[in-house]
Amino acid sequence: MLTEQKPLMRALRRSHTSSSQSTSSSSSSSSNTSSSSSSSWIHLRSVLLVVASSSSSSSSSSSSQQIPTDRGSLKSPWSHRRRKHALLPKQWKNLFTADGKLIDGGVKFLKKIRSGGVDPSIRAEVWPFLLGIYDFNSSKEERDSLRSQKRKEYERLRKRCRQILKRTEKSVKLKGTAGNVCNEDNECFSQVFDSPGLEDVVSGRKSHSTEGGSPVFDDSDHRICDHSHPSSLSSDSFLEGEVDKRVVISQDACTGETESSDSDSSEEDENTPLLSSEIIEENDIHKDDNDSSSPSQIEGRSATPTDEDFATWRRIILLDAVRANDDWIIYSPSQASVSTMEARRLAESVGLKDYDDLEPCRIFHAARLVSILEAYALYDPEIGYCQGMSDLLSPIISVVEDDSEAFWCFAGFMKRARHNFRLDEVGIRRQLNIVSKIIKCKDNHLYRHLEKLQAEDCFFVYRMVIVLFRRELNFEQTLCLWEVMWADQAAIRAGIARSAWGRMRLRAPPTDDLLLYAIAACVLQRRKLIIEKYSSMDEIMRECNSMAGHLDVWKLLDDAHDLVVNLHDKI
Amino acid sequence: MGSFSGQSSGSCDLSFKILLIGDSSVGKSSMLLSFISASAEDLAPTIGVDFKVKLLSVGGKRLKLTIWDTAGQEKFRTLTSSYYRGSQGIILVYDVTRRDTFTNLTDVWAKEVELYSTNQDCVKILVGNKVDMFQDSERAVSREEGIALAKELGSIFLECSAKTRKNVEQCFEELALKIMETPSLLEEGSAVGKRNILKQKPEQAPPGGACCS
Repeated sequence: MLTEQKPLMRALRRSHTSSSQSTSSSSSSSSNTSSSSSSSWIHLRSVLLVVASSSSSSSSSSSSQQIPTDRGSLKSPWSHRRRKHALLPKQWKNLFTADGKLIDGGVKFLKKIRSGGVDPSIRAEVWPFLLGIYDFNSSKEERDSLRSQKRKEYERLRKRCRQILKRTEKSVKLKGTAGNVCNEDNECFSQVFDSPGLEDVVSGRKSHSTEGGSPVFDDSDHRICDHSHPSSLSSDSFLEGEVDKRVVISQDACTGETESSDSDSSEEDENTPLLSSEIIEENDIHKDDNDSSSPSQIEGRSATPTDEDFATWRRIILLDAVRANDDWIIYSPSQASVSTMEARRLAESVGLKDYDDLEPCRIFHAARLVSILEAYALYDPEIGYCQGMSDLLSPIISVVEDDSEAFWCFAGFMKRARHNFRLDEVGIRRQLNIVSKIIKCKDNHLYRHLEKLQAEDCFFVYRMVIVLFRRELNFEQTLCLWEVMWADQAAIRAGIARSAWGRMRLRAPPTDDLLLYAIAACVLQRRKLIIEKYSSMDEIMRECNSMAGHLDVWKLLDDAHDLVVNLHDKI
Repeated sequence: MGSFSGQSSGSCDLSFKILLIGDSSVGKSSMLLSFISASAEDLAPTIGVDFKVKLLSVGGKRLKLTIWDTAGQEKFRTLTSSYYRGSQGIILVYDVTRRDTFTNLTDVWAKEVELYSTNQDCVKILVGNKVDMFQDSERAVSREEGIALAKELGSIFLECSAKTRKNVEQCFEELALKIMETPSLLEEGSAVGKRNILKQKPEQAPPGGACCS
């Protein structure tokens, strides 16, 4: 191990001396073995950080020169020493102006959450802001009206679910075969978007997307742009310039090639999902049509699902709902104490039967999962339902007790996460690529070892990417991580990343890919083990799949923060 | 996700790779957990792939079984397909109370095996899980149908319950025995076994005596 580490250590020492003015305070400890103790890592990281900032020729150098005397502000907001409290109810109340707008465009709000998460008692109120349902500049009135509009829309989706279910049951009865739920009614959906491909549908949405509030930019866009134009966005986030970020984004978006459908589909505005309402009307009209379905519906790419698609999703949703993790129970007393009758009634209303001997609260939880996941499958038929989505929704419904609000929070969450569930695996592969790149940039030695094992594709972190650490972290820790991650994404979405963060002196600029940095950090935390002990990809995967209960979310964020500081302009 | 219970190494004579496939929620992960740690609990859906290692003695030989557990949903299939490669045994699982999981073995899973398994001699076993469930649900697939399909697929057949552990060990042991009876697979297994021994370090026995004797 020691011999293997030498090149790295030497490199670090080299960089150490080259930036001597800034490193005197940490030089003694950095000669410890690097990966074995976390404290020495922190020093090493700060060395790297200093090197990184002092070598950058940008105008930010004036502030980075002061680093040695101002080390406190350099620390990540999540480091043990700097860890702040969560956003508290009282602070939350004080964040609003008289007409109910968030003060300073949400900067203070996001800053607070970014460094400590949200107090459990106000999560249900805060999340709709974090997840892009409410604009930061919206007034209370606007939000109230949006809420009722959204509720109607959700109810329409639920109504469609019930209609399909009814039709399917009828046809099953008619045909007398349980396995074959494909029926004449299927085709009524294909009528709506018969020949146009996804792009047409998407552009249809897009044209309406600026109607209410400020446009929302898809986060994946940024990443793509960062990819092809490494210097375009993130590298200069330290700058104080007030250039409108959106302009930069849209320029870059024009040059991004194949991803247009991705980015556009998430660009739909809060108020939109016009698609869904259009379909509803069409459905009602064409209910009894009998035409053949379009070829685009095969392979699950349909803009509108067939009854068969829906039946397939529903089957798996029902199975997954009853086996959802139950660690939410202690955090949600009101739902935990739901009566048997209420639970059974709700289960019956969504056709959930096979819950065996589950406790009432778990039946209730399962039934809520079913109704929201079904509605989501209709809302986003390109994705439909994929296993893992119930892992993402379960914490949300535990916190948000209203179904419609929980649905829209979930839909907001899925704007990013949906790409992971695409059938063509483009999304997940891109994410794994970024993890791989982070590891390569940070720790070439480890990367070469991974290459030797043919594991450099980082497939072993697959599950972490798909369910965003839900299987590795406990309920509370998962929510903290997600909130910090959402705050980063919200900052970027609201365009306040560039202008505000420099002033806020949080060294790591917000990133859309905080999750991926955290995943890379968690692999890097195990570099020694991986390099010395593991001789196959399988072993690394086993390690990654059995991390549950062994991770500290704040340490993870702290390490992720350091990676962002050092690498955000390289990734 | 369960912790890793059987340890990965320890001296063994033979090492085989086994793959668990079948529809979502038929009980693949539960079977594996039941086999590895003798516990039965409700498990969250498998995301992607996972694996466990079990050391056991079969026919006087010390075996190391690396058992790969896969996600049942179609969406994960392209991803899991690479795990067919190099496996000596495949366990096809269905749920005896859900007929579609049985028909999908012919319609989907057997084809997957054909397509992705690189090993001509690969041993298959057809397993009907959840035979403990009959007081709650109707049996949807008869034993005879299971036997008939097994014949068609050229596989062994067993019914089991991951919950009560009935026949669970037998599934894995019969599969292992059959693999050992197949010369080409035996050779593959011993080559891997030897390679493992070379880089083996002494290791403590796992708790609970899951290890080979």
